Amino acid sequence: MKLTEEQINRYSRQIVLKEIGGIGQKKLLKSKVSLVGLGALGSPVAYYLVAAGIGNLKIIDYDSVEISNLHRQILHFTEDINRKKTESAFKKLNLLNPDCNIEIIPERITPDNSKEILRNSDFVVEGSDNFPTKMLVNDTCINLNIPFTIAGVLRFHGQIMTTVPNEKTACYRCIFGEIVDFPSGMSCSQAGVIGLIPGIIGCLEANEAIKCILKVGDLIINKIMYVDLLRNTFNLVDIKRDENCIACGDNPRDLVKTYNYRIEDVCQ
Amino acid sequence: MSIKDMNNSKEQIMKQIDIRGKVCPMTFVYTKLALEELDAGDLLEVLLDFPAALENIPKNCKRQNLAEVLEIKEKNAGKDEWILKLMKL
Repeated sequence: MKLTEEQINRYSRQIVLKEIGGIGQKKLLKSKVSLVGLGALGSPVAYYLVAAGIGNLKIIDYDSVEISNLHRQILHFTEDINRKKTESAFKKLNLLNPDCNIEIIPERITPDNSKEILRNSDFVVEGSDNFPTKMLVNDTCINLNIPFTIAGVLRFHGQIMTTVPNEKTACYRCIFGEIVDFPSGMSCSQAGVIGLIPGIIGCLEANEAIKCILKVGDLIINKIMYVDLLRNTFNLVDIKRDENCIACGDNPRDLVKTYNYRIEDVCQ
Repeated sequence: MSIKDMNNSKEQIMKQIDIRGKVCPMTFVYTKLALEELDAGDLLEVLLDFPAALENIPKNCKRQNLAEVLEIKEKNAGKDEWILKLMKL
């Protein structure tokens, strides 16, 4: 694979970086990333991954754009209201970088299709707005042995953590266990969210994907990063893999087919 | 000298690139891409006409531990063209 003149120009400021160069840029161009959710987190993730030259990006979202999304979901514009988010995102991302092969999956990710959708990814970014989907992505990626990052935002706060199943690092379930009842009022629509916090956390998710593909720097593994923009703090909190974790512990279960995620309970 | 070293020195490659017309940072970008295709000990001659690159390329090559400058020579005196000779590290 040889970089074209256009690619050399487009990615020149990355090629200059010691950590990337032409070799790293080719790795990015050959990589396959899947992104679950094209909302507030997914928008900056998709934008920066496509801009960076991730060669193959699969985007998964069943939802359509609403006017109340627009203050934080920066891939979607006023004219996109009622349009499928995958369609709206595809249009912008393709204009941004036609070099990137974008596959759209305009479906809800469920236990019936999650393995099929995420299989063969080099990295998975979770950017949905609900616990059941985060748990499903967590369990699926552990089962498929794919590194992944999960983030969440609320009000002026955000958190992010990455898991590398192959290295047996702590997973989302090690921390949050089994969510039996979803905490009421803990959604962006109920509690509110400042538009820029998913922008910051989404950028961190994209950065995790890029670092993992390039094998540079430190991933947020065995740690959770907690960001509080009212107090201007970025804290890294140590976390530990739970050996009794039903997803990644010493006696793991194949949860995807058996666990009741209650995906259908997620409010629309 | 080991057999491997002897083999390396025997097969030392001298590559040339012409980046006249390119300005910084593209001068370094093209130099770096060319160096990436070489093995340690191979040589690269860069023909350039952007004066600031004579400082920037060596500085960046040093910072990234990419190559060592062996020689900077003027090509066709008065024409503002130079050859930068580098050895890949």
